[in-house]
Amino acid sequence: MTSTPLHAAIAAGSTLTSHATTKIADVQNAAAHAWAQTPWPTRKTEAWKYTPLKALEKGEYFIPAAKSTLSADALKQFAINRLEAFTLVFIDGHFCAEQSDDLTQLPTGMTIEHLDDASNLEQFNKAAGEHATLFGELNTATINTALVINVAKNAQITQPVNVLNVASANAPCLANARILWQQAPHSKATLVEHFVSTQDSQVFTNSITELFVGENAQCEHYRLHLEDEANLHIGGVYSHVHKHARLNSFYLAMGANLQRVDVVTQFEGEGAEAVNNGVYLPRNKQLVDFHTCIEHKVPHCNSNEIFRGIIGDSARAVFNGRIHIHKDAQKTLAELSNKNLLTSNKAEVNTKPELEIYADDVRCAHGATIAELDALAMHYLRTRGISQEEAQVMLSFGFINELIEQLNNTAIVEYLRPVIAQRFAKKPEFLESLIHEALV
Amino acid sequence: MSQENAQSAPNAEPLSDADQQIDDAINKEYSAGFVSNIESDTLEAGLSEDVIRFISGKKNEPEWMLEWRLKAYHQWLEMEEPEWAHVNYPKIDFNEISYYSAPKSMADGPKSLDEVDPDLIATYNKLGIPLHEQQMLAGVAVDAVFDSVSVATTFRENLKEAGVIFCPISEAVHEYPELIKKYLASVVPVKDNYYAALNCAVFSDGSFVYIPKGVKCPMELSTYFRINEAKTGQFERTLIIAEEGSEVSYLEGCTAPMRDENQLHAAVVELVCLDGAKIKYSTVQNWYPGDEQGKGGIYNFVTKRGIAHTNSRISWTQVETGSAVTWKYPSCVLKGDNSVGEFYSVALTNNYQQADTGTKMIHIGKNTRSTIISKGISAGKSSNAYRGLVRFNAGADGARNFTQCDSLLIGSECAAHTFPYIESKNPKAIIEHEATTSKVSEDQLYLCQQRGIDAEKAVSMIVNGFCKDVFKELPMEFAVEAGKLLEVSLEGSVG
Repeated sequence: MTSTPLHAAIAAGSTLTSHATTKIADVQNAAAHAWAQTPWPTRKTEAWKYTPLKALEKGEYFIPAAKSTLSADALKQFAINRLEAFTLVFIDGHFCAEQSDDLTQLPTGMTIEHLDDASNLEQFNKAAGEHATLFGELNTATINTALVINVAKNAQITQPVNVLNVASANAPCLANARILWQQAPHSKATLVEHFVSTQDSQVFTNSITELFVGENAQCEHYRLHLEDEANLHIGGVYSHVHKHARLNSFYLAMGANLQRVDVVTQFEGEGAEAVNNGVYLPRNKQLVDFHTCIEHKVPHCNSNEIFRGIIGDSARAVFNGRIHIHKDAQKTLAELSNKNLLTSNKAEVNTKPELEIYADDVRCAHGATIAELDALAMHYLRTRGISQEEAQVMLSFGFINELIEQLNNTAIVEYLRPVIAQRFAKKPEFLESLIHEALV
Repeated sequence: MSQENAQSAPNAEPLSDADQQIDDAINKEYSAGFVSNIESDTLEAGLSEDVIRFISGKKNEPEWMLEWRLKAYHQWLEMEEPEWAHVNYPKIDFNEISYYSAPKSMADGPKSLDEVDPDLIATYNKLGIPLHEQQMLAGVAVDAVFDSVSVATTFRENLKEAGVIFCPISEAVHEYPELIKKYLASVVPVKDNYYAALNCAVFSDGSFVYIPKGVKCPMELSTYFRINEAKTGQFERTLIIAEEGSEVSYLEGCTAPMRDENQLHAAVVELVCLDGAKIKYSTVQNWYPGDEQGKGGIYNFVTKRGIAHTNSRISWTQVETGSAVTWKYPSCVLKGDNSVGEFYSVALTNNYQQADTGTKMIHIGKNTRSTIISKGISAGKSSNAYRGLVRFNAGADGARNFTQCDSLLIGSECAAHTFPYIESKNPKAIIEHEATTSKVSEDQLYLCQQRGIDAEKAVSMIVNGFCKDVFKELPMEFAVEAGKLLEVSLEGSVG
């Protein structure tokens, strides 16, 4: 690992931005220290066994991105129609107030603050800090503009918040993205994290999102990785789900050449529920790596996780799904399923569904499969006069569409369907029929 | 189910009474725990080149064997102890272990059972392994290993007629040096892992089996071995070679006397399964697991691996109930096209036992198939982990794997884990893996008790049902022993 000015700065404890409150400074110093202490991952590092970090080793991606802007027209291409969200725009990790929706026009019950001015920092880095990784520490140590989004008690907010992260710099650089999402008890809200890129961008996005879902609160969370393949993305989503709360997350990984997401969902109160679903569709030389962990710390919680992937060309997918049932977490129900389709001779999947159980009165199950498209289903379609190629497209799309269909937000479903269909259908006529048929 | 409990337990007894019985049963001492007073020729603790020269000299080994051991020793010195397994134990001081122990009166090597030390024979009898009876009635050839030297080998003549070689590996080094040179460490390389390297340097003895081309071994081969001398590591080395189209079934079973200090056991088993051959390797392992405070017990760090060539089949079946710490992954390298690998395992842990066990299936050839059925049962304060690897290489077109790992938890202080590594580089291969964890169902227990079956018997029935997929793969005598073992090991873990 080459040393860069950033490494020197972090090691010296002089992080890039100085923050107002001592709490932030303390957390950052601790993170900087931890980052400097943590060895660079190699093949022998269990969490990075299948994910080489060669692209980062030259150090060129450790130049912090400069603040830049994009025209409103340029941003239009990333809009999700009909979502009618309250949009917050980050360009290369810098918050762009002028491109974002007017912060004074927030939906009732919602407040958004800059981390530096936040009224309550009690939960800052609480979830992420507990499960800190090398890149999590890097994120914390180098925060520039982090936003704190608060949903007030009893607020039922129908308008989703769309955090649009645009990678735009055309020379290698590091973009830091950080969100602290806090829902007070009995509230309901939707967060969409949308990662995109402009042409020729070469950005290493290092993102952390912390979700705190209060008692009886409900959180809908979508995280869409749709950057171009010249970009890199390592991120983490750390959540605390409190008593009787519900977190519903969906992950889509289609962008960036290297995508690594650590998802840690921790139950903090009884009767809570979490759903983590995800889809990954790497192609060319992309590598997608999901490391998920459900921490069942308390009794009577349910978790359900379904991840599906189709891996083509010379792409690789890594999935590590851990269910950790702590000693007192009796009456837990936990399920995890990971299904993979390999569509090329050069593609590769490494999956590891893990169970770690310290309580006896629980029911846990996981399943994992790796295969090509079902030969029988294929035969069925072929006997009905459907070409090999079209049948492949139909079956692949269907495999993923099952999860897309389940999403609660129809605007997201409508936005994703053509994006995903385009991945499979190389001929325009297939594309039309896929989008059309799926809509019917 | 012990006798006392059977008598004292009224059928419809409430569970709290069952608890009491269970406690009694748990407190029962390890029934195979005794030390026989045979004088032993034990080497002082410590490991050095001299120790290896001593072991080698003791066996009159040829120079090439000594050199091989010394080379392994130097490689071992440079290796690091693996720490990835989900087990905790105090660091082993490899210089506090004695690496050679042979029953003294055996020094000259007996030719038949009559020459065997009567004390030794008595030990076997206590364990219920009457050699004479087995010779005559069971029709099983037994290569009994007492500590480190094979003392009695039976039915050798019968096997010889069929052309089967079944002898201590130390003897094979002298009599069949070409086979040893060709196959020793061909499956598990010297540097494969820390304990395998250690085994290469200091291995004491073990079995050597050679089945010639096209021969179906006329009887099931079996080794019973025990660890006897305190502070003596036993480093077993087994090599089985099945030539083209041959077949063999090999049984391995063991119990060990009670001991306070932890004993290290680092065995290596290598199977060479040539074209069209079949090897079935079954193990019942019931070494001393330590007492209810977790004191003592055997450390069992074993490397078992087989290479399956074209159209051949390797089947591992294991019932693991003993040892304080188990670290064991019987594996198949499915090298030839159409080869088959199987792994059936029941691992039971109680009290403070820790097991990290599973298998590896490496699919290299086309149309290779593998099946993994693993049943883990944790009771008391134990920890039981399944760790497996299924790998499909790019050339393994049409390969197929099915894996099922189920865990059963008995008691609220135990732990069960599953760590399956699944890797595929071939779109024409299919892997299915599923795992479940649950406790003994209250409904099932209630149903049994309602029908007059006491809680303990009911649990035993439920657990035996849970394991039946594995038991049915065991040779008959072993299946009976395994059922009994589970019953004894589980006594009283329900409440």
